[in-house]
Amino acid sequence: MTVLAEFSKGIYKQNPVFKQALGLCPTLAVSNSVSSGLGMGVAATFVLLCSNLIISLIRNSVPPKIRIPIYIVVIATFVTIVDLAMAGFLPALHKTLGIFVPLIVVNCIILGRAEAFAGRNNVGLSFVDGLGMGLGFTLALVLLGTIRELLGNGSLMGIPVMNMNFEPVLIMILPPGAFLTIGFVLAFFNWLENRRSK
Amino acid sequence: MDLQNLLIIAVGVIFINNLVFARFLGICPYIGVSKELDSAVGMGAAVTFVMTLASTVTWLIYTYLLSPTSNNLFYHLLRLNAPPDLTFLKTIAFILVIASLVQFVEMVIQKTSPALYKSLGIYLPLITTNCAILGAALLNIDEGYLFIESIVHGIAAGIGFTIALILMAGIREKLDLADVPKAMQGIPIAFIMAGLMAIAFLGFSGLKLGN
Amino acid sequence: MKDIVKLGGLLMLITAIAASALAGIYNITKPRIEQQKALELERALKNALPGYPREAIDEVKEENQILYYRAYESPDQQNVAGYAYVAKGQGYSSVIETMVGVDTSGLILGMKVLNQVETPGLGTKVEEIKYGENDPWFTRQFLNKNAEAVALEKDGGDIQSITGATISSRALTRSVIEGYQYVLQDKNTKNDKDGS
Repeated sequence: MTVLAEFSKGIYKQNPVFKQALGLCPTLAVSNSVSSGLGMGVAATFVLLCSNLIISLIRNSVPPKIRIPIYIVVIATFVTIVDLAMAGFLPALHKTLGIFVPLIVVNCIILGRAEAFAGRNNVGLSFVDGLGMGLGFTLALVLLGTIRELLGNGSLMGIPVMNMNFEPVLIMILPPGAFLTIGFVLAFFNWLENRRSK
Repeated sequence: MDLQNLLIIAVGVIFINNLVFARFLGICPYIGVSKELDSAVGMGAAVTFVMTLASTVTWLIYTYLLSPTSNNLFYHLLRLNAPPDLTFLKTIAFILVIASLVQFVEMVIQKTSPALYKSLGIYLPLITTNCAILGAALLNIDEGYLFIESIVHGIAAGIGFTIALILMAGIREKLDLADVPKAMQGIPIAFIMAGLMAIAFLGFSGLKLGN
Repeated sequence: MKDIVKLGGLLMLITAIAASALAGIYNITKPRIEQQKALELERALKNALPGYPREAIDEVKEENQILYYRAYESPDQQNVAGYAYVAKGQGYSSVIETMVGVDTSGLILGMKVLNQVETPGLGTKVEEIKYGENDPWFTRQFLNKNAEAVALEKDGGDIQSITGATISSRALTRSVIEGYQYVLQDKNTKNDKDGS
């Protein structure tokens, strides 16, 4: 595949959230507002890029039997770096994302890309793959966040957008809203695919 | 040990703060394994077991090796001036412990029940990336639970997860026979079901326990 | 067997490298993180004890745990002029933590909600700032009231509760009283010089 194709596959065709059903836990948890979704997306993308790079670099020296634990150590290291950096420089975001920052380490997208791609491809392609998948993940978060924040809080990025008479549908920013939103969005994408293949 | 306190923690994490419906932990295996009742029960049991073990071991590691308190073993053994603050190694240490425990459980299941091993398939090693296990371990530390409280929390969290899985599997088995619109089939309808159940569990959140 | 030892050793080596890298990063970010915590505390104290410079406030500790804060007229004065404490109360879905500042007679000088994870749109209104105003209306009601006697209207007092969030409102109100009683009890056993 061309470099551009490797990059863009993560955005739609193989979108980690909507097409591969990966990284669902943080997606549901932090998609209740656009800013948390964006923050998590960027943090996860950073970890994904760094881990893809390192894993791709060491891919030929890693004994296959312990490759998964080694990938995990690499990913956990970058997650901790992001955790510390966020606590020091973006404390408000760190507080909002809470337990989901360290949980980036078990985000199946990151381990999944390490195993499926970075462990077998060169550094350049791995970087591009990471960028595409990370962007796809972030876009998914922002899409869900927009729907949930708009309907559930009448705002976007904390700025009130709907007029005074709008009664926010509270359930959208509560856990059930997360499940319902992603269910309907996934159904929508399936419907799109079904139409395209007709 | 205050039995009432332990009961409050247990009921809290099973119903009020159910890992799946309220805290969004353990979703990936939830969607993947909840199609059949039998694999749901097996997965739930495996997760509960790993979660309990993981809660125990990670708590011990944090309290005696990582936290900057007078319990710290490095402080004692190496005769340092002050207890070292190694809390930043929490994530790495915890996930490595969990990965090893899952490996161990995998070997045990393979030997004792090959049928279960086969039906769980790839989802067994995937328990490592089950955010519910790491999540529960991290929650023990965040909530400042004592040792026994952490163990009870681990067991109860696993039970709550299993209940969520079983509820889901039961419904999905019936759903397979229903007339679901094509676009909704599979994962989308599973999420909608989860959403409806989450609404039901939301009713627990006003439950006042204790004094 | 030798295989396992070799693989285990390699894993340990990689973990050791990772741990050292993290130790380095930790040392770099640690001062920054401490700074953020101190800033947050300063902001809370400024809200709870308006007018008192940070240097005039010290901590009452027991075994490295901060129990509450004491404020003096100025950094070198001996007489305590007020206290600040973190009131904690179990709300609907979380423990609501509020920094409350009182003078020596128990009059509430200021309040700031520090932490809460209540129901969005209902309990979260404990921190709601109405359009055009500068501070949360709910906690503003507590100012200049006695910390031992605050109560919701429905409980015989004069604090208007949040519509649809009685539990959160009541929890916060009660926690203010309990926190203050703790401070009173503690300072009396230590015989603070505060002229009261």
